[in-house]
Amino acid sequence: MRRAGRLALQYGLVVVAALVLNFILPRLAAGDPVDYLIPPDSSGFVTAEQRQATLARYDLDGSNRQQFVTYVKNLTHGDLGVSIRTGQPVREVVTGRLGWSLLLVGVAVSISTVLGVLLGFAAGWRRGTKRDIGVLSAVLAVDALPAFFVGLMLLLAFSVKLDWFPVYGAIAAGDITGWARVTDVARRLVLPASTLILTGIGSVFVVSRSALVSELGEDYVFMARAKGLDDRAVRRHAQRNALLPVSTAALLGFSTLVGAATVVETIFSYPGLGSLAFDSVLARDYPVLQGVFLLLALIAIGANFFNDLLYPRLDPRVRKVG
Amino acid sequence: MSRSSKIVATIGIGFVGIILLAAVFAPILTEHPPNTTSGLAFESPSADHLLGTDDLGRDLWSQLLFGARISLSVGLAAAIIATVVGTVVALIAGYRGGTVDAVLMRVVDLVLSMPFLVLVLVLVTYFGRGLSVTIALIAGVLWARPARLLRGQVLKVKEFEHVVAAEAMGAGLWRILGLHILPRLTPLLSSQFVRAAAVAVIVQSGIAFLGLGDPSSVSWGATLSFANNASAILTDAWKWWILPPGIALTILIVGFAFIGYAAEEWADPRLTSYGYQRGVRRVLEEHPASPAGENESLVVRNLSVHYETEPPVHATTSVDLRTRSGRILGMVGESGSGKSTLAMAIAGLLAPPGRIVEGEVVLGDTDLRRLGRVGLTKLRGRRFAVVPQAAMSLLDPIITIRRQVAESALMTRRDGLEYASQLLSRVGIDPDRHDAYPHELSGGMRQRVVIAMAIANQPELLIADEPTTGLDVVTQRELLDLLDSLRSELEMDVLIISHDLRMVGSIADDLAIMYAGRIAELGEASAVLASPRHPYTELLLNAFPPVLGPRRPPVPIPGDPPDLSQIESGCPFAPRCPKVFETCLETVPEYVPVACHLAAT
Repeated sequence: MRRAGRLALQYGLVVVAALVLNFILPRLAAGDPVDYLIPPDSSGFVTAEQRQATLARYDLDGSNRQQFVTYVKNLTHGDLGVSIRTGQPVREVVTGRLGWSLLLVGVAVSISTVLGVLLGFAAGWRRGTKRDIGVLSAVLAVDALPAFFVGLMLLLAFSVKLDWFPVYGAIAAGDITGWARVTDVARRLVLPASTLILTGIGSVFVVSRSALVSELGEDYVFMARAKGLDDRAVRRHAQRNALLPVSTAALLGFSTLVGAATVVETIFSYPGLGSLAFDSVLARDYPVLQGVFLLLALIAIGANFFNDLLYPRLDPRVRKVG
Repeated sequence: MSRSSKIVATIGIGFVGIILLAAVFAPILTEHPPNTTSGLAFESPSADHLLGTDDLGRDLWSQLLFGARISLSVGLAAAIIATVVGTVVALIAGYRGGTVDAVLMRVVDLVLSMPFLVLVLVLVTYFGRGLSVTIALIAGVLWARPARLLRGQVLKVKEFEHVVAAEAMGAGLWRILGLHILPRLTPLLSSQFVRAAAVAVIVQSGIAFLGLGDPSSVSWGATLSFANNASAILTDAWKWWILPPGIALTILIVGFAFIGYAAEEWADPRLTSYGYQRGVRRVLEEHPASPAGENESLVVRNLSVHYETEPPVHATTSVDLRTRSGRILGMVGESGSGKSTLAMAIAGLLAPPGRIVEGEVVLGDTDLRRLGRVGLTKLRGRRFAVVPQAAMSLLDPIITIRRQVAESALMTRRDGLEYASQLLSRVGIDPDRHDAYPHELSGGMRQRVVIAMAIANQPELLIADEPTTGLDVVTQRELLDLLDSLRSELEMDVLIISHDLRMVGSIADDLAIMYAGRIAELGEASAVLASPRHPYTELLLNAFPPVLGPRRPPVPIPGDPPDLSQIESGCPFAPRCPKVFETCLETVPEYVPVACHLAAT
């Protein structure tokens, strides 16, 4: 329990740090906030009254300290401000996109983790052989393809030339329900998810491979052979141990991928958090940008926290410590 | 570095080299500027515009060449900054430790798990789009990874002797960090540098593709962005507008990735080294070896094992050995005498480059060398069992000891668990500790668990390699007594390997003394201990004075064991032998069963 308490304290501090960062970052930027706040198309001459009204609307009047107090107070009510672009509450905008992000990234991460681990373990088991180096080079090469290039090529091949999948969006316009809705969502998920899988598999592969290789050098693996276990059983021992660093890497990679999906979401017009961040950047809709950033930071911290809680369940050596 | 990773590295350097050439010679290879109009919009490739033009009539071939400059400079600059910052943080955190370390590592964790593309996007909005800002921002998120990995390395290196010595001599902080620790980080540092360069190129192109790059320069990402906005995939233009910059980016990133991989292998050679020999069919001896004689279980004839390195090491040479039924054979020698190699060769656990070059290993009527790898695996743990060296780490850390013992037994899982409990109790482990994990047990307990695994299938022969090394004297005694009582209970033969002649001599029935990969002396334990015939045995006895009786200081044996990769004429012990005479320097003494010219005369 002491461990849980210490963890909670540590993460509490990290959350506070993220909140403060989210408050400070935009204020570090050069220029007048009004330049950002008034949408580019309607900018131009701004009167003093308009200026004051704008600042008040976004709680930017008053000293930095007052602003921070208001910011924290609003946060405790779940109030993230309103979007400059649409006038909607930021919370609604952000949570509306969260589901699609989690669907896309969740599917992609699950598949690329499973594939990456299988390939990585297979290559690590045969380390140093021609087959290992072959798989390794191929995976490194695929991993090196920039996501937007892969995305464009997939679009070109499967949507434009072959016409197998729709080009845009996560779901067709209009009312579709039931099974039709599910298949439509699935069909539109294939290409963006494939792009993410292809570009995300490399890191899982590399981590799995080197984790297995280092486990295979351990004495307990030698003991497993010495006591007469066959290759399959020996490999099982090493793989179970090798999964420890792999699970950590996969969990911590998740939040990075939610952000990295920005490019893919943009190409496929997929309504996730990444494309929301991008649209907000273009529109200088910075309450929304702050909201997205905060949410992603919380996801990242949450993933870290979950990993810290999960790890002792996987590794008995950590259970009793601390 | 292995041959295959040299190939990988060469390809990597070649790829980056191509891009580098394009960047350097860009002004020579094209007359058109990359970012001003030089033709009509949407031109197809022609002699003037090799790759046609974009929507603003800018030359795409020129964009391709000049794009190399942007990608390379961003990649390298960001990688340099990120690696330098990461290294400094790692040095401070790793070397200082304590609170400084804890705080820095939490920051690193946070940065590592940040959605960094979004972070960069956000920062680009706030701080502007210039190329140098982009570089700074990319470096600002990339430093965390090298920092984390390098810190781990610093923690290891700072315990090295020369660092500790430098500290003791009062060397200043920066001197220690820069002169003693930093050089040891080079392999990891270089692999992290190349990796950072690859990621920087990817991120920069991503930012440019999203239209948030430096507006005054046309990078590959920007070219692709314009192509995407002009829906180039809907026409034939993708062939010259999307494909070339996409491929160029891929070549550069693959190049960095391949170099990075080769550097990583340099940092950690285990990554491609072969492990246990697999898939190698053993060349069968022409004639099956004759079975062991009566009252013998293990018979080793003329066994030579070499490590096929450059130069090859002759770990054992023509070893003859047999265990007699129901007896304990103790094999004794200094480290490097080939005794462990011999044991592993017998058990078929030799890892490359070790190889049996000659000889026979027979267990009862089974010729072990004719069995092949799979056949031998089936016998190991059943008819003969092995307790390897390094008992502290022989158990799987994340599985309870009972399950690990059960796994050794040839039974269903359920029976196995019950049987495992019996075995664990038999070797002296409290029933309430049976479901413990290895890290919860002492070294002596762990060794008992390993012994329980070894006897699970009541083997005819138990090979124990240094079973008591690293344990205190009382525990050593208890373990030896345990082995002795198990021997009579299970009627098995035991081969114990040790460097401690007195200790093994106290329970062994027979003793084999090994020197330089050969048997020096073999005989009944009592005889060998009472009247050693080989001068080496005599010196070994003086090196380990008896525990009981008058106190005598241990007398170390002068000189070092010979280098087994050098073949020299004469008796291998001659250079250290107090009784050396002329013949000893000329010929190797026959083994009769004392390999000494004195004994032969």
